Amino acid sequence: MNKKFTKKDLSFWHNLYIPEIVKGLGLTWKAMRGPKQTMEYPEEKFIPTGSYRGRPVLAMEENGEERCVACGLCSRICPALAIEVQAAETEREKERYPVKFEINMLRCIFCGFCEDVCPEEAIVMSDKYELVFDNREDAIFGKDRLLTPVEQLKPRIEFLRKHK
Amino acid sequence: MDQVIDNDLTYSRAVEALKKYAVETDDPLDNEMVLNMGPQHPATHGVLRLLLSLDGETVTNCVPMLGYLHRGYEKMAEDMNYYDYIPHTDRLDYLAPPSNNVAFVLAVEKLLGIEIPRRASYIRMINSELARIASHLVAIGAMVMDAGAMTVFLWCFREREKIQELYDLIMGARFTTSYTRIGGVSGDITDEAQAGILEFLDQFPETLDDLEKLLNANRIFVQRTDGVGVISAEDAIDLGVSGPNLRASGVEHDIRRAEPYLFYNEMDFKIPTYSNGDSLARYWVRMDEMRESIKIIRQAMEMMPFGDIMANSPKKAIPRKVEIYSKMEELINDFMLTNFGAEPPVGEVYHAVENPKGELGFHIVSRGEGHPWKMKIKSPSATNLQALPHLVNGHMISDVVVILGSLDPVMGEADK
Ligand code: SF4
Ligand code: SF4
Repeated sequence: MNKKFTKKDLSFWHNLYIPEIVKGLGLTWKAMRGPKQTMEYPEEKFIPTGSYRGRPVLAMEENGEERCVACGLCSRICPALAIEVQAAETEREKERYPVKFEINMLRCIFCGFCEDVCPEEAIVMSDKYELVFDNREDAIFGKDRLLTPVEQLKPRIEFLRKHK
Repeated sequence: MDQVIDNDLTYSRAVEALKKYAVETDDPLDNEMVLNMGPQHPATHGVLRLLLSLDGETVTNCVPMLGYLHRGYEKMAEDMNYYDYIPHTDRLDYLAPPSNNVAFVLAVEKLLGIEIPRRASYIRMINSELARIASHLVAIGAMVMDAGAMTVFLWCFREREKIQELYDLIMGARFTTSYTRIGGVSGDITDEAQAGILEFLDQFPETLDDLEKLLNANRIFVQRTDGVGVISAEDAIDLGVSGPNLRASGVEHDIRRAEPYLFYNEMDFKIPTYSNGDSLARYWVRMDEMRESIKIIRQAMEMMPFGDIMANSPKKAIPRKVEIYSKMEELINDFMLTNFGAEPPVGEVYHAVENPKGELGFHIVSRGEGHPWKMKIKSPSATNLQALPHLVNGHMISDVVVILGSLDPVMGEADK
């Protein structure tokens, strides 16, 4: 721990200021030759780990079907009221599926609560963080843009199973 | 204390309040001037507006006007279940989201009467202390920049960035973490994250030394802060000042010691206290507290046991994910909790924690529903700002920014 000075502790040499400048420049010089602290985005991309909560997506099985059973829990818990689900019946084994599933990415706050409560591991926080729109309509993601093959979501799903 | 000024004055009433102390003469040069500082002023740390009455360059009176960032969080709480409210606590003191999460969740757990697993408590403690370091770094960086030193600001932000990367590993988000859950924490801390924390702790003291080398004996910094904005211990207590600002006035009060929560009673740490009560002492306290936080994190990492991270308490805490997938009972619980929320008994509870800014407390009144009937947030920034008029009187305008920086208010929390 360094010594703490008040006004009256400052000696003549401190008040002269020149030694201080030399010391300060020394530290600056050290920092200048140290490693670079910034990331050259977008040339260099940030690669998130499994713990990262990017934008929520819907998991899609290999046969192209969604896992979601349209129970509506995610839309109930969402603190930002970003999700809209409309359920319908189907002949498939799961009996229910969402005819409409929309997430408004302008509302979403990436809290991960939808993923927390989903009983089917159907909605998962992906590692995607680049979200740009030039109008509001584009920001509402329907099923076409939400469905993502399970393959791509592996790191996150593994993290969920192990650590949640 | 010669005048106590109410915060919710309208503009005209504020000006009147200032004029009461102003000396009016015929000579315009003798008149006192009223100056608006903020709400869009770079040195007011957000949207704080100060009405200053000036005699030349000397401040004779000051009225802080709060409320520009008011989002009605206390009212909103009445309309959403306890679980849903967690992300909103991130946005109170946005420089230390993890410790706000912890504060709110501890209050709710006290109300619900659930015990949380030891591991979860330790993880919460590690996060709160990381948040304290991050918040103090911003406080010092910003204060010193207000006094004219840019390098320190950049170095502080460089270190804070490392902490935010750790947040990313531990909690999944850099800023709005929403990590704690009622009954525990949302995910276990990975080995990678633990290694990251230790690595950070190893190199961080060196940076603190560097910062102190730049600042402690810096003539300009010391002269701009020593004896500037002095508040005595009695006045600080009377005005409700808390946290590092209170300890800089010589009151050794820290909720982590006074009313230990989590496992702070098992930790070995000192409470840095100085008696000067000026801006310089407030800087010292923050510097020393960061060193103490490092100690706490190290101990917590050592003592952290293996085990669950969520309480096994049906109807109150969300079950673990793997169990929801495979077990009927847990699935039903998940549905019930999501739809109706955890329903606490009828009652009232107040729980306060030592946040980086001071005492953050949640007072919840429950009528047995899934959401609070009323909630009051005791925010340290708001109470610390009450001391501002007392601190700036008689100082120059340029000292106002340094004093404000040393008080370290966050408007998201002060305005709620
Ligand atoms: S994503 Fe999950 S929680 Fe949401 S409706 Fe589908 S199954 Fe239910
Ligand atoms: S991440 Fe949070 S805000 Fe976004 S859709 Fe899910 S629950 Fe809603």
